[in-house]
Amino acid sequence: MSTFVVLYYTALIGASCLAAYYEKRSVFMLIFSLTLVSFVLGIIGGVGALRFVALSAGLLALAAGTAYAFREFLIQISKPNLAKELRTAPLTAAFGMFVIFTYAIAGIFAPWIAPHGEAEVIGQAFQPPDANMLLGADQLGRDMFSRIIYGARNSVGLALIATLLAFLMGTMAGLFAAVKGGWFDQVMGRVADVIMSVPSLIFALLMLSIFGTGLHVIVVVVAVIYSPRVFRLTRAVAGNIVVMDFIEAAKLRGEKDWYLIRREILPNATAPLIAEFGLEFCFVFLLIAGLSFLGLGIQPPTADWGSMVRENATLISFGDITPLIPAGAIALLTVAVNFVVDWMLFRTSGLKEQ
Amino acid sequence: MHDKFKNAEVLLQIKDLKIEGYSDETWVPIIKGVDLTLHRGEVMGLIGESGAGKSTIGAAAMGYARDGTRISDGSIEFDGMELTTASEAERRALRGSRIAYVAQSAAASFNPSHKIIDQHTEAPVHYRIRKRFEAQEDAMQLYEQLRLPNPKEIGFRYPHQVSGGQLQRAMTAMAMSCRPDLIIFDEPTTALDVTTQIEVLAAIRDIVDEFNTAAIYITHDLAVVAQMADTIKVLLRGEEVEQAPTRQMLDNPQEDYTKSLWAVRSFHSEQRHRPTDGTEPLISVQNVDAAYTGGVKVLDDVSFDIYPGMTVAVVGESGSGKSTTARCITGLLPPMSGQILCKGEPLPPRYKDRTRDQLRQAQMIYQMADTALNPKVKISEIIGRPAQFYGGLHGPALKQRVDELLDLIELDPAKFYSRYPPELSGGQKQRIGIARALAAEPEFIICDEVTSALDQLVAEGILKLLDRLQQELGLAYMFITHDLATVRSIADEVVVMQHGKVVEQGPKDEMFTPPHHPYTDLLLSSVPEMDPEWLTTVLEERGVDNIGEAADT
Repeated sequence: MSTFVVLYYTALIGASCLAAYYEKRSVFMLIFSLTLVSFVLGIIGGVGALRFVALSAGLLALAAGTAYAFREFLIQISKPNLAKELRTAPLTAAFGMFVIFTYAIAGIFAPWIAPHGEAEVIGQAFQPPDANMLLGADQLGRDMFSRIIYGARNSVGLALIATLLAFLMGTMAGLFAAVKGGWFDQVMGRVADVIMSVPSLIFALLMLSIFGTGLHVIVVVVAVIYSPRVFRLTRAVAGNIVVMDFIEAAKLRGEKDWYLIRREILPNATAPLIAEFGLEFCFVFLLIAGLSFLGLGIQPPTADWGSMVRENATLISFGDITPLIPAGAIALLTVAVNFVVDWMLFRTSGLKEQ
Repeated sequence: MHDKFKNAEVLLQIKDLKIEGYSDETWVPIIKGVDLTLHRGEVMGLIGESGAGKSTIGAAAMGYARDGTRISDGSIEFDGMELTTASEAERRALRGSRIAYVAQSAAASFNPSHKIIDQHTEAPVHYRIRKRFEAQEDAMQLYEQLRLPNPKEIGFRYPHQVSGGQLQRAMTAMAMSCRPDLIIFDEPTTALDVTTQIEVLAAIRDIVDEFNTAAIYITHDLAVVAQMADTIKVLLRGEEVEQAPTRQMLDNPQEDYTKSLWAVRSFHSEQRHRPTDGTEPLISVQNVDAAYTGGVKVLDDVSFDIYPGMTVAVVGESGSGKSTTARCITGLLPPMSGQILCKGEPLPPRYKDRTRDQLRQAQMIYQMADTALNPKVKISEIIGRPAQFYGGLHGPALKQRVDELLDLIELDPAKFYSRYPPELSGGQKQRIGIARALAAEPEFIICDEVTSALDQLVAEGILKLLDRLQQELGLAYMFITHDLATVRSIADEVVVMQHGKVVEQGPKDEMFTPPHHPYTDLLLSSVPEMDPEWLTTVLEERGVDNIGEAADT
């Protein structure tokens, strides 16, 4: 029996004894059932399976630790009011914020962080990782790591601009529809219905093949596709606010629609809208990645995670995980944004944990 | 302790109860050690202002702590069973079968998608006390005892097909369905009109008497509790102030706080009369008919005048068209026919067609200060905006005006200038609402049930403030209310409305001396008085069987 196995079981049993002693029931149950499961795993999968379990637990602990430290860091540097809110954030949300923060840094400082240019050919095609190229080379011999860093800038930046535009159009239309009502509301509602009735990917492919694949075309098309969802949410939220007495008081004062929207409705609608922003950002991001994968999104040689998955896809049949790295980057960001959004939705909906 | 119950068995014994609530990441005490002893068949009234912990104690009597609160200390013993240590399953077995709860708003507490009788029979069938058909028979019998119209049929309706007062009685019947030992009434009549309230009170009192049920009656209305309770307990900020049998408590309260509660209804402003020198009325409503889109007529030939510097109270039950009249005056609902004159000149029917100055003339103060103030806007801007909008004030002049207004409503400008509405108490919010109306420098203010959502002490403060402002600034008020006590204290003239028509109008002193219109008479005689015998007397005068119909006509 290897030392690893001995250490593995000692650590587990020791930890469960400690948990039992300090009366942490749920922790004890978790650790001890893991011990029991490990017996079976060890018999079936051997030392390899146990190493995998230990590695996963280690990674999880690392992520939790990072999240915890990052949350403390945010609490320290923010103002008292914000710090109070942050203290209620679960670790998942803190982890999400950490990931988003890392991506933002990578995107903003890409030229300084990346060791090579995004279109620079520095090695042979599919060269394995070495000290110079951390993640190896892609199908043309460009540095994979540098392209991932630049990809953060291009993919995320594009998705962000498209989402912002979608929000600008959607919220404005929704707020005016709620305040004005009548025929304006009807027209906007029917337009939104028409756009939503066409499957989004097909609509995007159609538009892009008509208008070409320029970056501005992608942004506008994606924004148009996603603005009806924002419109519907905004109209529903604002619809609940416009019936309040303070809106009536402002109307009777003789205020114009724009004042009503800006000063009276918008401050009360921000929370659900920000949460929706996070969710929509994920969808937009995935749609753009999907378009790139199909070859209609961001055009080469610009680095983009979606197209990187496609370009390196052949490698997967040789058992190499290189194409999964940009896919993983997409997945990680989506999960991270969702963690943060979940927390925000939880806060705004006022749900309580039972 | 009440003599009547000296020998009765103790049903509920609460000792040194402490409950904490979670806010701002710490546990703060809500109930700070309250004792309560309730005997079989005894009705105890719990009174106090909002935030005194009445409802929290009511829920604790069922062994229940609401979300975000916990029972931190003390014992609750129900018929020999300790509820604080009982398991959730044991406590659940008590609820519905041996302890029942009647909530404030029956309309919100019934499930709108099930028939009333199905909700009624749920508990007895669940606890296997009765079979479904027996339970339905029993429900009909209870409906009859509670004097609901068509007792055989009414249970098969859905909650929205039944009026508010009837629903509240159906809920009382539902609480009785398992013949519980204890019922907790949490402000059961607060949301009802006086005429409906009296039926519900009579029904509750009879049925509690008949089955010898013990009850905890939670309310902030002293006159109501005087009718219902054997014993009264007064609470203030989670602590007991005093407890005594009803009669003794009313005649001879010991503590200063209790005395102040008793004295609340003593405020009276001096009555003014219409100017006789031919001054034109400030607002004149002339033959107004109005309806909401596609609906039936809500207002039918409504006319009355409001003279400068006077208070006109518009009274009536809910649905009588009081608030609709206000909407016609402000221009939110253009009348179908008739017109509204302001200082002799007709106002455009729609508010959008009115000039800024016409809009400035008529301001509103709303019933629910919570929805009337934007929670995300600072007090300084809420009050400052009308001054900026109408007066064109900016910078230091605007700040000075806001400070002046805050002084006027007796709130410290230094403290309140940059706060947000959710940080304020109900009374303070209502004051901010008044300041916002004053900021426009109007001559006429519509007060739509401004005190009905407030505790009596706070409400009295608001009434005094309004009265002072009227004398200082020469304002005219249109005071919409269903509370005749308020009318008595501040009105100069009274307009009584029923089914969208003006039934009777005139100066207050004439209106409050007989002879009255029958409807005015009904309204007046339905206002509870502090005398514990009041309900009995009224019921005798009207005849028990007529009470329901009296309120319906």
